[in-house]
Amino acid sequence: MNNRLAKWLISGPPLLYLLLFFAIPSAIMAFAAFRFPGDYGGLLPLVEVNPETGAREVLINFGNYADFLTWENFQRFFEEPIYIELFLKSFWYAGITTGVCIVLAYPLAWLIARSSKKTRDLLVLMVILPFWSNFLIRVYAWMIILGPQSYFSQVLNRVLAVFGIEPVSLLFSQFAVIIGLVYVHLPFMVLPLYANLEKHDMALLDAAQDLGANAWQRFWKVTWPLSLPGVWAGTALVFIPALGMFAIPDLLGGTNSMMIGNLIKQQFLDSRDWPFGSVLSIMLTLSVLLMAAIAAWAGSRGKAKK
Amino acid sequence: MKKLLLALSLLAGMAQAEDVLHVYNWNNYIAPETVKRFEKECKCRVVQDYYGAMEEMLAKLAAGAKGYDIVVPTGFAIPPLVKQNLTQPLDKAKVPNLKNVNAAFLNTEFDKGNIYSAPYSFTTTLVGYNDKKIKELGIDATSWAVIFDPKVLAKIKGKVTVLDDSRELFAAALMYNGYSANSTNPAEWKKAAETIKAAKPYWAAFNTQSYIKELTVGNIWVAHGYSNDMFQANQDTKAAKRPFGIGYGLQKQGNTLSLDSMVVLKNAPRPDLAHRFINFMLDGKNSSELTNMIGSGNPNAAAAQFVQPEIKKISAVFPDANSMKGLQQLKDLQGKQLRDLNRLWTEVKTAK
Repeated sequence: MNNRLAKWLISGPPLLYLLLFFAIPSAIMAFAAFRFPGDYGGLLPLVEVNPETGAREVLINFGNYADFLTWENFQRFFEEPIYIELFLKSFWYAGITTGVCIVLAYPLAWLIARSSKKTRDLLVLMVILPFWSNFLIRVYAWMIILGPQSYFSQVLNRVLAVFGIEPVSLLFSQFAVIIGLVYVHLPFMVLPLYANLEKHDMALLDAAQDLGANAWQRFWKVTWPLSLPGVWAGTALVFIPALGMFAIPDLLGGTNSMMIGNLIKQQFLDSRDWPFGSVLSIMLTLSVLLMAAIAAWAGSRGKAKK
Repeated sequence: MKKLLLALSLLAGMAQAEDVLHVYNWNNYIAPETVKRFEKECKCRVVQDYYGAMEEMLAKLAAGAKGYDIVVPTGFAIPPLVKQNLTQPLDKAKVPNLKNVNAAFLNTEFDKGNIYSAPYSFTTTLVGYNDKKIKELGIDATSWAVIFDPKVLAKIKGKVTVLDDSRELFAAALMYNGYSANSTNPAEWKKAAETIKAAKPYWAAFNTQSYIKELTVGNIWVAHGYSNDMFQANQDTKAAKRPFGIGYGLQKQGNTLSLDSMVVLKNAPRPDLAHRFINFMLDGKNSSELTNMIGSGNPNAAAAQFVQPEIKKISAVFPDANSMKGLQQLKDLQGKQLRDLNRLWTEVKTAK
């Protein structure tokens, strides 16, 4: 009995926190998606203060609910292809970012995991180090690095000129957005991979080698399958935030780098259309859940085959 | 112990009795020396809070923020404040300096008869450019063609940014096509959207955040932006001793004008100080200090004589009667119009 009480006491606060700040806002958003926008942002009110009496009056009733609740916001999402296209594009960006992060993070995580205790701590510290400065400052730094006046751009374009290639403009491009996304999310891939790789039993690799497996086979048959939980954790930590990112496309992107996060931000701030912004957010959440479900299903099928 | 408590409560009482005026204003939109002088004159303290966008200010006040005496909204944000019953009428007897305001900036449709608002300062939305490059390339920056005509843009491809603001960019495209910046005619909007789509491949980015810096370092040669920002960019190029300056001027097809005005809030704790402050800011000398600091337009006729001559020369800051005719204030869009523009905006931003 006491044990159970202790469990609740420990898990209660975080549970309550999640419930308050995730479930309730989500429910509000789901409700907002069926309402009309207010004139100055927010939602068309359901309750109004009567200016003469000062009393609150409920405006909605069974007869007029169609004036207050609507499917229109969802219809709009499906009837024009641009929104779905933007979703696909954002998934594409987030997918590339995740892929590049895996390729870059894996060797690094492996190196950290196989280093001596002392170097390991230092390397982990270096991975975390960028978090000590503000996210926006780091993105602004990339604006300077990628700008046409930077040494980086100038040297690159000199080299390209040697091969007879036209100078390229790095800043304000999809390339810059991917660079920014990868840079910001890389630590979130390295850390879970490192945590996973560190626990691998080296004896397994020795055994594989004794049985005649070459380096590639040892990686592909032993290390990689064992590291999959780390890869999945990193993928979730990178893919989902990258999908909803709006600051990086705003700052580094060109005229064609808009992502779904920018569109959602635009609804809430510039267009003052909270209901449609809510629809977009719900669709984003649903599509992420769908992807997770597909991944889980594919994972279980893969296991079943073996 | 009792004595200590008594002393403390006395102190607290004194702190309460101190006169404090709370001003909720745009960031960097008042000269520090002006504030100091006002504090001395009224023997009070001015506490400032800042916003970066009208939406931010409106959202905060609509959510019930209390304690502010004065806000400084752009024209289109005045009707929402009035409609939501957040403002109180100006007591004109307490602001005799209202007579200093240039009649062209009074009695706007956002506040007929200036019942609630006293004009403070304005900016124009225009084209700023790297003067050296534009001269070299022989480009005419006095027409909106510089950001919309593919023939002109071919020479400056990838060196142009436009504001990431649907209202401002559509207004510019509408005026380029010879329509009113405030047009809500769907056919005219469609034409403007076509103009934007045709020009878009030549632009580097939609940029509201960093075009001052990009102009200053020479990454961008032409930027659609606000007159204050171009002033700032030009100052920065001088400070950094760049081999070029940032020029800017009005476009012949017309420009948008954002007039910011001072408004006393309904629940202002100190309406008396608020009126005193407004009258103080409407004094020519006091009003000129902001213009001298950030190169903002000044609706105050009495301020002109205190403005630095090189700022007075700039037509975008001190438009003559003829240029004034080409300046339009953007009206607020609502409901369906806002949604339609939003759709068009998403369409042009995602267009290939």
